[in-house]
Amino acid sequence: MKIWIKERFPIDYAKFIEITEKIFIKEPIPLHMKKWVLAMGTTPFILFPIQILTGILLAFYFIPSPEMAHESVRYITEEVRLGFWVRGFHHWGANLMIISIFLHMMRVFFTQSFRKPRELNWILGFTLLGLVMTISFTGYSLTYSQVSYWATTVGTNMMAEMPLIGNFLLELLRGGPDVTANTLTRFYTLHVWLLPLAITLLIVLHILILRLHGVSEPEGFKKGYYAFYPSHFHKIIIVTLFLLSFISLLSVALPPGIGEPADPLTTPLHIKPEWYFFPIFLFLKWVPLNIGLLIIGLAIMGIVFWPFLEPLLAKKEKHRTILNFIIGAVTIITLITFTLIQTYTH
Amino acid sequence: MEQIKIQQWLIGIFSVLLIVTLMIVATFEVKKTMKYAAEIDVDKSTAQCINCHEIEHIAVTQIAAWEKSEHAVMGIGCLECHSAEADDFDAQRCPESDVLIARHPTPKDCAECHEDQVNEFANSKHAHQFWLLKNADRSILEMPIGTKHGCEQCHNITTIWPDGSVGECDVCHAKHSFSMEVARQPETCGECHMGPDHPHIEIYNESKHGNIFKALGGDWDMGYNTTKNEPIPIEAPVCVTCHMDGNEKQPMTHNVSARLATESQATWSYRTVWDEENLGSWEVKRDRMESICMSCHAPDFVETYLLTADLVNLQYNEMRRTFVYWTKKLTAAGIIDRLEADGKFFSNPVLNGWDEVPEKMMYYSWHHEGRRFRHGAEMMGADFTQWHGIWELQHNLVEMITWAAEHGDKEAHKWVNNNHPSKFVPFALYDIPGNAWGISTMVNTTPFVYSYEDYWDRVKSNVETAYNNGVLSEDQWELWMKRYENLDHYLGVKYKDNPEVKEAWNMYKERDAIDTKAFIKEAVNLKLPGKPFGAK
Repeated sequence: MKIWIKERFPIDYAKFIEITEKIFIKEPIPLHMKKWVLAMGTTPFILFPIQILTGILLAFYFIPSPEMAHESVRYITEEVRLGFWVRGFHHWGANLMIISIFLHMMRVFFTQSFRKPRELNWILGFTLLGLVMTISFTGYSLTYSQVSYWATTVGTNMMAEMPLIGNFLLELLRGGPDVTANTLTRFYTLHVWLLPLAITLLIVLHILILRLHGVSEPEGFKKGYYAFYPSHFHKIIIVTLFLLSFISLLSVALPPGIGEPADPLTTPLHIKPEWYFFPIFLFLKWVPLNIGLLIIGLAIMGIVFWPFLEPLLAKKEKHRTILNFIIGAVTIITLITFTLIQTYTH
Repeated sequence: MEQIKIQQWLIGIFSVLLIVTLMIVATFEVKKTMKYAAEIDVDKSTAQCINCHEIEHIAVTQIAAWEKSEHAVMGIGCLECHSAEADDFDAQRCPESDVLIARHPTPKDCAECHEDQVNEFANSKHAHQFWLLKNADRSILEMPIGTKHGCEQCHNITTIWPDGSVGECDVCHAKHSFSMEVARQPETCGECHMGPDHPHIEIYNESKHGNIFKALGGDWDMGYNTTKNEPIPIEAPVCVTCHMDGNEKQPMTHNVSARLATESQATWSYRTVWDEENLGSWEVKRDRMESICMSCHAPDFVETYLLTADLVNLQYNEMRRTFVYWTKKLTAAGIIDRLEADGKFFSNPVLNGWDEVPEKMMYYSWHHEGRRFRHGAEMMGADFTQWHGIWELQHNLVEMITWAAEHGDKEAHKWVNNNHPSKFVPFALYDIPGNAWGISTMVNTTPFVYSYEDYWDRVKSNVETAYNNGVLSEDQWELWMKRYENLDHYLGVKYKDNPEVKEAWNMYKERDAIDTKAFIKEAVNLKLPGKPFGAK
């Protein structure tokens, strides 16, 4: 068998094993990664394939048309064998992916791993967060319930506020002036092809850059390394098993419902997006739309280019660290508070 | 503290904080998707009503019902319907709060938003005052207290309020949920349309429509919107589907008279003339009904079915004519008498004399059996057309004539002593070759009247007269003639000698002979040895 395969794949196996060992098995992991709180970047990386797999299963049944979208979601949830479970997995997988990216970002921020020479990876990481939120938004829209339909309408409406190209983008995304069948097929294409592809490429790039630089090592830890296999590998397996069990539990205990079918003629009293947009949504309720969007745009720019802004704002190393701690803490507390207020007031 | 420690503490604390809060939020949000209930805003005045009602425990379930209503979702609170001016007929101050409210929101209040629906209703026969206008005061039998929660409970749907508006919307749209599902439920119509005089819910339950609804309706969303000129979304109709709902061709209407072509609840059946200026002729109304029927049925079936039902109505008139003949004859002969009060006749024996057998037979043959005969034929209630209908009508007729014979009427006496089967057909006949269901080869070989050679010519002349008098439409006449011209085909007798038909027929004949033999042996010829106890 071995010979049979070797004949058909005539490569240098000794070299192949050597490279594999070097890249994976014996990858040097810094000692600080033994601490769980400092090793959270793998979580979204584990969740992504789960999303792909459950997404493919859902795509077997989902029909992206205004007449059938909600009905096919209902069919998946109520009639397909274990359909509710797969859908629950996809829903909770998406939710946990966003939470785990937040956690990873927070760790990177507090350990100041975004600093030179890793600025580009910070920007890439933030772009990945943006893409994951976009893929979640498009996925949520596909369910075509009354809440998701109007969230899509309002969400895409914000596009129009962008200067110069706003209206063009709006029509491009919706395939017309309103949320219609065209919007559904566009969102479907984005959700199942373009965004997963973009996310996959960026993850590869993100990890490639990480490997080229090596994992950043916070100061104050004992210098030293251990091999990826078996210790860190086992850690990943434990996390994977935990995530699978936890998501399965959530899918059974808290399966997502199907909601009322979308009715484009009846605007509901309350329109709201998914919870991860709550801080932005609440902020935009409090301030005029265009000013709000401008402030949010600036804040996003601030976060993206923070590795370059930080040295301008504080010269001394110690001051920079204190500034980071304060900015990080204030941002997280603000986001959590806004999220809770929006949840409570509903 | 060392920087590394601070970092770890910050990450640890915020990790827990993020995970806990965001998971709670995500859980909270997913739970909301598990229930359909829309969120509602309770305005200040509504909140005041709710608080007080909850504290005083007054009609609290109505608060929950309102919360589920579309009204609540749309922000329609208590005072939108219950607001009042001090001099309104139903103005009332709430005892605890002193808030001025309207005790009885009337259709005028509903019309603030639902003007079309209220107008449609007011122009329908649902709102007509016939039970008061044509009142022969049946309460001489029932007494007013019996009518309060009797007649009036249903007929209050026609009530004229002090503000001039007519009707009670919540008769069907039960307050305070005003749920479409409740309004559409056949039992809602069946609250009134039931019982011996108009067993509509019973007829519906007997029909294929009702059967399918019973079997599958539990899975149907009965809250569907029917105003969008879209196909009817349910597999079989409920009452409202045919009489009110819209489809691709027909708009939804609250005017239940818009689709009814025959007055088959009246003493005589006649084509509807109700609000012809706005609703059009009976033929227009029939077209409306047919276009609803055709959501599920083929045109030929619909037209044949309804023509047959129309002929049942016409047949009823001929039977009634016989009842009227006997009642008038017996009244003129002084065998039966009208009720009198203060020197004036109080009753009319052909309508509402209740104290002598022919009068009672007369009344039941219209008000109970006569309606069942006709309404069963219109709504697929076979048993109501047959055993609760024409069988009872014939029974009443026999009873009436037998009573007349016993009370000295010579013609009646002659009828009783007549032994020819035709004595049960003292009236002209309507008929249609075959039926809507298909071709039946043997069924039309048995009726006694079919043995008359000129039977179909007599029937044809009757149907033609009905057509010439505008009681049947041209299309109906053509449909009837199409069947008449292919009589043997539609009657199926053309096929009765087919070998396949004969083979099947003979098999059942043989089995029947075995059955007959069995019951003769097991029952008829069985003799028991024990003496009867009545005999000494």
